[in-house]
Amino acid sequence: MSLLPSCREVSRLLSEALDSGRPLGLHVRIHLGVCEVCRRVLAQFALIRHGAARAPEGGPDLSPEAKARLRRSLDGR
Amino acid sequence: MTDPNTWVDAYGTRLFRYALSRVRDESSAEDLIQDTFLTALKSRDRFKGDSSELTWMTGILRNKIFEFYRRQAKDVPLLPSDEESDPQNEFFDGRHWSASSAPRDWGGEPARKAETAEFSAALRRCLDALSENVARAFILREMEGLAPKDAAEALGVPPGHLAVLLYRARLRLRRCLERSHFAPEAA
Repeated sequence: MSLLPSCREVSRLLSEALDSGRPLGLHVRIHLGVCEVCRRVLAQFALIRHGAARAPEGGPDLSPEAKARLRRSLDGR
Repeated sequence: MTDPNTWVDAYGTRLFRYALSRVRDESSAEDLIQDTFLTALKSRDRFKGDSSELTWMTGILRNKIFEFYRRQAKDVPLLPSDEESDPQNEFFDGRHWSASSAPRDWGGEPARKAETAEFSAALRRCLDALSENVARAFILREMEGLAPKDAAEALGVPPGHLAVLLYRARLRLRRCLERSHFAPEAA
């Protein structure tokens, strides 16, 4: 049995570290040193966080009907 | 402060998109905007002009969204058994990534690709594929920037369960975004 954590354990610990802000443990860092795929996961989790916080808002326009409803609700006050 | 009669045209679509990306339902998003405008109207004396009107109203809307989440969590409390299958079987084969789920290289300049309108659209589509609470955990933590403790409180779950929801969200969004945005040619 390996003393190093598995990829499944490391991926979970990487996610938890993003929220706790605590540094990664020694065993996780050793795993990352030898596992390119988990290094990608670390970078990609961070990139998704970066993009989710900064990417421009998109999506559909408010419909003319919805605008009319909102105007009516404001007029009523 | 501008004339409230101009608010719908000036801010309606921006606020609607913001709300829709967080509650994922047009009717609820519209209701939240209506509440936001009415709150802004009632409290406009408190607007100091330190920020733009849009920023001020977005702050009101954010609080409405958190209240919306809290109400829903109270009405339909989340039980761990309500959640979808354990992602470990979906992504891993024993101790390692399964061949079909192993993260791929996202190529050159992924950071630039994470700040585009195309990324936003892909993220919305990928969020839509998640279960409600997995998506909400991600939205509160990563899009709204709430502290884990506050996000857990808004969702009505213990902090340990929030960590599970966030882990599921990140695994699934990572794979979905890889296939639809960052490395579609490799999918």
